Amino acid sequence: MKKKLFVLMIATLLVVPFLAGAATAKTLKVGTMSPLTGPYAADGNDIANGVRAAVAVVEAEGGIPGFDKIEVVPQDTACDPRQAVAAANKLINEEVVGVVGAYCSSSTIPASEALAEEDIPMITPASTNEKVTERGLPYMFRMCGRDDDQSKIAGAFIKDYLKAQTVYIVDDKTTYSQGLAENVAKVLAADGIKVVAHDHVNQGDKDFSAVLTKIKAANPDVFYMSLQNSATGSLMAIQAKRFGLKSKTVSQDAVYHPQFIEIAKDAAEGTFLTFGYTDKSKPAYKKYHDKYSGMFGEPGAYSGYAYDGAMVLLNAIKQAKSTDPAKIKAEIMKMDAAGATKQIKFMDNGDSGSDYVIWTVDGGQFETYWNPATGKLF
Amino acid sequence: MVWLFGLLWPLLGIHADGTLSFTKAFNVWFYIFAVTLVIVVVVVLQKQGILDGFGRSLGAGKTGLTAVYARTPQWAWIAAVAVLALVFPIFTGRYEQDVAINVLVYVCLGLGLNIVIGLAGMLDLGYIAFYGVGAYTYALLSVNFQIPFWLSLPVAAFTACIAGCIIGYPTLRMRGDYLAIVTLGFGEIVRIILNNWMELTNGPNGILGIKAPGIFFPSFAEGFSLEHLYLKKLHYLYYVILLLAVLTVIAVRRLNISRIGRAWEAIREDETAAELMGVNTYRLKLLAYAMGAIFAGLAGAFFAARVRFVSPESFTFLESATVLAMVVLGGMASIPGVILGALALIVLPEIFREFELYRMLCLGGAMVMMMVFKPSGFIAAKRLGRRSEEREG
Amino acid sequence: MEFFLQQLINGLTLGGIYALIALGYTMVYGIIQLINFAHGEFFAAGGYMGVILLSFLAGQGYLQTHPWLCLGGAMLLAMVFCAFLAMAVEKVAYMPLRKSTRLAALVSALGMSIFLSNGLMLTQGVYDKPYPAAFSQGGFEFGNIVVSYLQIMIVLITIGLLIFLNILVFKTRIGKAMRATAQDKVMSALVGINSNKIISLTFAIGASLAAAAGIMVGLYYGSVNYTMGFVPGIKAFAAAVLGGIGNITGAMLGGLIIGMVEIFGAGYISGQYKDVFAFIILIAVLYFRPTGIMGENVDDTRV
Repeated sequence: MKKKLFVLMIATLLVVPFLAGAATAKTLKVGTMSPLTGPYAADGNDIANGVRAAVAVVEAEGGIPGFDKIEVVPQDTACDPRQAVAAANKLINEEVVGVVGAYCSSSTIPASEALAEEDIPMITPASTNEKVTERGLPYMFRMCGRDDDQSKIAGAFIKDYLKAQTVYIVDDKTTYSQGLAENVAKVLAADGIKVVAHDHVNQGDKDFSAVLTKIKAANPDVFYMSLQNSATGSLMAIQAKRFGLKSKTVSQDAVYHPQFIEIAKDAAEGTFLTFGYTDKSKPAYKKYHDKYSGMFGEPGAYSGYAYDGAMVLLNAIKQAKSTDPAKIKAEIMKMDAAGATKQIKFMDNGDSGSDYVIWTVDGGQFETYWNPATGKLF
Repeated sequence: MVWLFGLLWPLLGIHADGTLSFTKAFNVWFYIFAVTLVIVVVVVLQKQGILDGFGRSLGAGKTGLTAVYARTPQWAWIAAVAVLALVFPIFTGRYEQDVAINVLVYVCLGLGLNIVIGLAGMLDLGYIAFYGVGAYTYALLSVNFQIPFWLSLPVAAFTACIAGCIIGYPTLRMRGDYLAIVTLGFGEIVRIILNNWMELTNGPNGILGIKAPGIFFPSFAEGFSLEHLYLKKLHYLYYVILLLAVLTVIAVRRLNISRIGRAWEAIREDETAAELMGVNTYRLKLLAYAMGAIFAGLAGAFFAARVRFVSPESFTFLESATVLAMVVLGGMASIPGVILGALALIVLPEIFREFELYRMLCLGGAMVMMMVFKPSGFIAAKRLGRRSEEREG
Repeated sequence: MEFFLQQLINGLTLGGIYALIALGYTMVYGIIQLINFAHGEFFAAGGYMGVILLSFLAGQGYLQTHPWLCLGGAMLLAMVFCAFLAMAVEKVAYMPLRKSTRLAALVSALGMSIFLSNGLMLTQGVYDKPYPAAFSQGGFEFGNIVVSYLQIMIVLITIGLLIFLNILVFKTRIGKAMRATAQDKVMSALVGINSNKIISLTFAIGASLAAAAGIMVGLYYGSVNYTMGFVPGIKAFAAAVLGGIGNITGAMLGGLIIGMVEIFGAGYISGQYKDVFAFIILIAVLYFRPTGIMGENVDDTRV
């Protein structure tokens, strides 16, 4: 009896996807890859939603000539290299014109190798590992900034504005957070500022009392907190406040997320963050913010980059009037326009430069604080 | 219907300001409810006997099939499967080939773990550590010393084997679930070391620039010469892993019916009795670990060569659990069972890609259902030889 | 010295949380020899239930006026809720497998764990949920040592629940029935104990302890998320085995030891290898005492 039921179940499972997969003609398919499930799903969904918002904006403005509609094909990588490669191959099968993703550098690198074999352009909104763009892949672009740029700004802020003598660095052992922390340590050492210690916590930890007790005993001027995501950042901020840490806290763009303030509440006040300068009054940002918040609520740290990445891709197709990768690339390299997050201009290796400034949390809001270009407060 | 009450909990959505919203959670709840309802209806119908007619026709079909199966010689089936496997890449695209490669990698892993769990009866929750050791061995050899894939394979197998012995040694005295947590601990330790030993493994950044497997290809362009080719195309890689998987299947089958295999089964059934009968349990348990680790090491080396990038994120506890689930789901100690299990647990998540966010939820639900409806796996192992009480019955 | 004392307090808090989760593992194991991987998810579900109830109460304004009453009520409701959830899970995923191999039940538990954590993600969203800030984040200060009120509360509630559990298991009829079922299901059924009911009840008690731990973790760390059950689940499993699986006192001790080793490992040696220290202690203990610190199968203490 049970066997029958079992056969029935398997049969339904097999039939359902075929029913679901009927596609219409003349559709432009844009792929996204990000961790939609697993521990990084928050950032992963921010990325997928950013791309959806971009497509909605383009469609509202008349779409792309020659195509009836634009379809977003989101794929889950679960931040696992094996599944990332499978997702990339799935996107190749779906015949997407370009891919926005992935999140973890360890997913982006192998996935980009697969996409490169078929000459599909890939724009990563979040992978900061320098190797992503330094492998000579012709169709690899990066929307976010790189760790080395960000660390220079953080170093300058700690030295010139905070005038710190001692710094305690903590990271959470990911490509992003550790790379950034090491670069900051290098910059500070070059400036003659003493790095008391460079400590690590692990991904998935919730309790930081041991390391915070150490920091309290060391009593540094600045506590540099390099973390993969904002939820971990808020946990650390709450516990630091509870221990009565007197050091100034400096953090970075991955922690820049509404939920940092929502969870940490008053413990977040006064935290400094390096984040790209976004002129919230410029029309490109407004257009993005209105669309995104209308569809999904407040944008996250990587939504803007994902939105810009998708915009770059769609605009390049519009300009090139073709989906030929070489023509798309030519258009992307020609671009010099204001995006939602930054001025979009790509370098030869596919990086797009960065414009980090110092932000702070003031009265439950992120506010611009210090401008490295002028060395003055905003 | 306590179950349905338990399902009520996702109904509540909450905002930071303390108001409740039901809409978002309602969608999820609705899907789960619909699926549960279908299952409940089927179960009820079955209990009432309404489905009996359907069952009879199905049963008739099944007896027919079994008869056909019995009449066809075994080599014909194996030949059919082999031909199907060989021509597979010709008719399929990149994505299908990629999934097939993953399935075959996990077939190797599953069969290796099957030696430890299915044959020797030791619950190992840190098996993926050996896979990681194999992968990092080839990655380091390839990047630092430019040693080709085929030469690295035995080295990867050897290092994984050593790792198996190191992990196996202190666990020999333990039984059952103590073994499980210790192997889980070792698996985590290996992953944490991979993530933290910057000088050797480059930590979370992983190792990049690993060479694909190469072969010497005869070339007749200018006389006869051997040309060295890197097999980067997916269908070439498919044949490489197919070869590895077939070798694994043959090796495990030979082990299974050998004296060693008999001794392992004896240990699984009753360790004390086996020892009494003169089985050297100490050496054989260690051997089971080492053999299992070797296959994982081979699969790991292939994985590194196939993705051409390794990072600690590939070797988490969840992967160990997946391989374990494959073995149990397929049917312990049964080779075709493990192959089916690997097929199910790799292909199902790919099918569920259509459900996007619901993907892993479906996988979890499917795992529970498959276990509940087929508790001994898809294809339960046939016992070699017979026990005295079975003969009497 | 101050540094040492502060780390000791940190270790006690973390250990107390692990101990509460480990108790559920150990009780379920003791009675049906199943490693219940979904136990961590009960912990997460409890945390979510707490955030839902407390946010609701805060929205209505009750939390500000009667914080302790609200917390008590929310905790009780969350515990009851998780108890029902665990009983439902047991009915669906484990009961049909009671006569099959233990590995089948183990894989079913793994599937259930994936199902529940993804269910939480889908219904509650991917972002962390903040706990309402009604409880003082402050604490006592002795020189440089900080003991927050929440830490004291965690330790007190943990001790209270442990005493309650000990009375329940060793002093009541239900406890006696549980111990009897654990020792021999057939015999206990012969003397009129409904073993299915007793097993359900064990699941319920274990899950409600996990739910209490979930709420305390949420309050202490300020937020909950859907993956929060996974890591503490594994640590608690380690703690339960370390103490001697199936042994209540052992689980408490194991939880405290794992918590302490982690904190002192991170405090004195290296933060990145703290989990390695915890597992090495575990392996070393099991090497010399293969059935855990307190041992398994000690007649009366086994549930």
